[in-house]
Amino acid sequence: MTSFEFEGRQIPIELGDSIATALYRSGVRTFSRSFKYHRPRGLYCGTGDCPNCSMTVEGEPAVRTCVTPATPGLEVHRSTGWPSADIDVFSALWWLRPFMPVGFYYKSMHKPAAVWPIAERFIRQLAGLGDVPLNQAPDDRERRYHHADVCVIGAGIAGLTAALVAADRDETVVVCDEGRVGSKIPPGALDSRITASLAQVRRDRRITLIEHGTAFGIYEGPLVPIVAADGLHLVLPKRVVVTTGAAERHGVFAGNDLPGVWLARGAAVAVGRHGLGLGNHAVVVMETEYALDNLASIQAAVRIDAVLAPSALAARIPTGLRVIVDGKVERALGRARLRAVEIRSPQGVERIGCDTLILAFGLVPRDNLVRQATAASVTVAVGGDVATPGLGLEAAIASGRAAGRGEPTPLEEPTLPAAPCAGFVCLCEDVSAADLDLAWAEGYQGTELLKRYSTATMGPCQGAMCHGHLRSFVAARSPVPILSVATTARPPARPVRLQDVAAGARYPLEWHTGLHERHLEMGGIMEWAGVWKRVERYGDVMEEYRAVRERVSIMDVSTLGKYHLAGRDATAFLERLYPCHVANLKPGRSRYALLLNEAGYVFDDGLVGRFGAEEYYLTFTSSGADAMESWLRDWAESWGHTVRLANQTGTLGAINVAGPRARDLLVKLSDDPVDSKTIPYGGLARITIAGVSCLLLRVGFVGELSFELHHPRLETVKLWDALLEAGRELGVRPHGLEALRLLRLEKGHLIVGQDTDFDSTPAKLGLEWAVKMEKSEFVGRTALLRLKDIEPNRILRAFTFPGNDVPLEGAQLLEGTDRVGYLTSSRYSPVLGYGVALAWVYRHRGTFPTTVEAIDGSGRTMVGTVAEAPFYDREGGRLRA
Amino acid sequence: MALMFPCPQCGSRPFTEFWCGGELPDGGHGAAGDIEADYARVWLKRNVCGDQPERWFHHAGCRRWISLTRHTVTNLIHDVV
Repeated sequence: MTSFEFEGRQIPIELGDSIATALYRSGVRTFSRSFKYHRPRGLYCGTGDCPNCSMTVEGEPAVRTCVTPATPGLEVHRSTGWPSADIDVFSALWWLRPFMPVGFYYKSMHKPAAVWPIAERFIRQLAGLGDVPLNQAPDDRERRYHHADVCVIGAGIAGLTAALVAADRDETVVVCDEGRVGSKIPPGALDSRITASLAQVRRDRRITLIEHGTAFGIYEGPLVPIVAADGLHLVLPKRVVVTTGAAERHGVFAGNDLPGVWLARGAAVAVGRHGLGLGNHAVVVMETEYALDNLASIQAAVRIDAVLAPSALAARIPTGLRVIVDGKVERALGRARLRAVEIRSPQGVERIGCDTLILAFGLVPRDNLVRQATAASVTVAVGGDVATPGLGLEAAIASGRAAGRGEPTPLEEPTLPAAPCAGFVCLCEDVSAADLDLAWAEGYQGTELLKRYSTATMGPCQGAMCHGHLRSFVAARSPVPILSVATTARPPARPVRLQDVAAGARYPLEWHTGLHERHLEMGGIMEWAGVWKRVERYGDVMEEYRAVRERVSIMDVSTLGKYHLAGRDATAFLERLYPCHVANLKPGRSRYALLLNEAGYVFDDGLVGRFGAEEYYLTFTSSGADAMESWLRDWAESWGHTVRLANQTGTLGAINVAGPRARDLLVKLSDDPVDSKTIPYGGLARITIAGVSCLLLRVGFVGELSFELHHPRLETVKLWDALLEAGRELGVRPHGLEALRLLRLEKGHLIVGQDTDFDSTPAKLGLEWAVKMEKSEFVGRTALLRLKDIEPNRILRAFTFPGNDVPLEGAQLLEGTDRVGYLTSSRYSPVLGYGVALAWVYRHRGTFPTTVEAIDGSGRTMVGTVAEAPFYDREGGRLRA
Repeated sequence: MALMFPCPQCGSRPFTEFWCGGELPDGGHGAAGDIEADYARVWLKRNVCGDQPERWFHHAGCRRWISLTRHTVTNLIHDVV
């Protein structure tokens, strides 16, 4: 005998049990305590439509136990009630209800203001449906895509028929059901037909069946997300078939929420499928022909003392049962459990002692999903009970066939129940008819207003139980049809965990350079840089910094955007794209280039290098590397230029060799000349270093003599190791991003994205020298022409801070008490002995401030003075050495 | 939302594989003009309620630009080039 744990005891499991049926068999009657008043709630719908059986299963709150299979070893407990759900002291709240009418938290406990935070803590403690686990790591669920022709939601007889019909038309089908197929159906003719169809579905390879898979929405596309045990299934069908069936109609009268009150189908499944004993004395409300089938199985399990039926049905009630013709349940009596019902009939009011009340008021379609599916791209067919509630077996099969063929079925406007007068309308949120009365009196007149004010229909069941009652409540009070319309149906139609929606999101793209493993071996601390992982530092940043300034250092810069561009129109294309001159660039030379968008704003920068007449090498920032391909292709296509573009970002590695002794290091590894005459600053050459053929770019981002070596990625480790080995006696060591940030800041070089904003024009950045307005055309030129007469209201400037400390990046700049800017980059410069920074400053009293007070996140205040960049090696002698 | 774009090179692909290049201005992308026309083209989007010509870049596929017409209300797509 297998079992699971429930609040410290072992509950035996029988074949086919859900958690709820196993608990019921073991004597549990109070399954939860209600949201607001802590009223005891027992099994009610048995079909996953109401919130009553919600418990915490394996640490997860609000699990509907009636549709969750009982599996050995589960840990289950009730989420609400203290000291236990059986004896809950807070059930006294029911007697305090005059003090907490609907919306009471909007009206009371707000004066004095200090009261509310205290009251709120108590309310939050008392209300609710359990605790969300905060410390639980989500498991690694996966996301799967199904590109099928048809998605069938609901595997009842109509759904299975539709799936088979569609498969026969050679369409691929995904069919899902939120439980085990057939588990909500009492034994009988329907059950046998489902079993037969299910066997056929399982044999058909064109059909994918997802059991225990809950479709919680129909999105544009269409897209049907299904949450199943093995993760999230995203179905992208051509059309959708909704056969979600119908739920038994909720009965609203005083005491309607007592344990012992059942909806008929749930009761029939409990006795017919699971052999549960419902009680000793039952009263049955039989207002619908559909439920007559269930009467026999219920009769076998419990003594029926009375059946309430309308005169039309009275004759069809089996003989031997007492029928109260046209009797209505006035109220149910009892405290922890049902004890008696009061019945009003033409003969008068009668009280009948009973412990079970079974309600068959009719069926309401589970139409939430259909009502969501309004997008033009979604084709939906409906079949079975959801189209015509209670249509019977043969009719359901016929409508399933039609839906399987894709024939549109009109959704019947569901009949509304009698307007509720007393009792709980919304079980999830504990909203009673009296609450609605008060809300109506306060002016919330209409379904959408009542819903928002009282929160009726907004609980876990999303109105499955109460939506019709809310509408009939309004319809009975107002003749204006618009007020009683159905409220908007939105996903999720069923409760869904955030971790299920986020399935697959734990696998972000992470790009590695060819040296990634080397960096880790050398103790590199990695950081995210866009999609790349880059080295922030290997050890002491100052040591890395000094290696660059005093000796020689290498850095992995493989993440730079690297493009090869050639073709008949290459020169014309680049001349028209870049704001700098390209045509006059000599082969074997490169040039710094800004990239402007059409609005004249800087969005990237890099180098343009020229190999030959129509052959170029382009580099861009690491963050712009990928997107730049779309930019280049876009313009080349738009202008009709004949160019060929190869994105070599991933195929080429790049190592920057920098420092006063960089040349000494290269000479040791290469026979090719690397002297200043052959390869001057800005030079571009193909040379072989340590047996690796490299493209060498003489650049100057860090302000020292430096050579970028671009080479095949497969040889990057070989080159790296050779450089470290050969450079040992020169004192080489690698540097990471943190050292780079300081090095470049000393040179006053900005980083696009860190020091620039989306609307930074070259003028604002002090980079007008890189823009040649005399050119007849380049992207952004017209915008710059328009902007040239507009004085910028803010500019990027360099600042220095005396002393050995510097405000943190992001510090606010003040002049007096006026905010006049903020820092974008700041570092203490060891070589200069003071702090250096870049900052945006605003025009203040007609001019840009030159002396500012900086207040940073740590609360420190420092005075800074405007300065001219570069701070270090102003003449550029070291760079051009 | 699960739009599928019919990429002329790759076939039907989810829209998450594409970057949106925005609406196609009058006279096409990259048309030169005087200052006023340029300003209007860059800043004054038509933002139509209905069929809108757009450019999309298939970054996770063929890495080519495609032009298409998308209905901004229904997201139905046609005229893919």
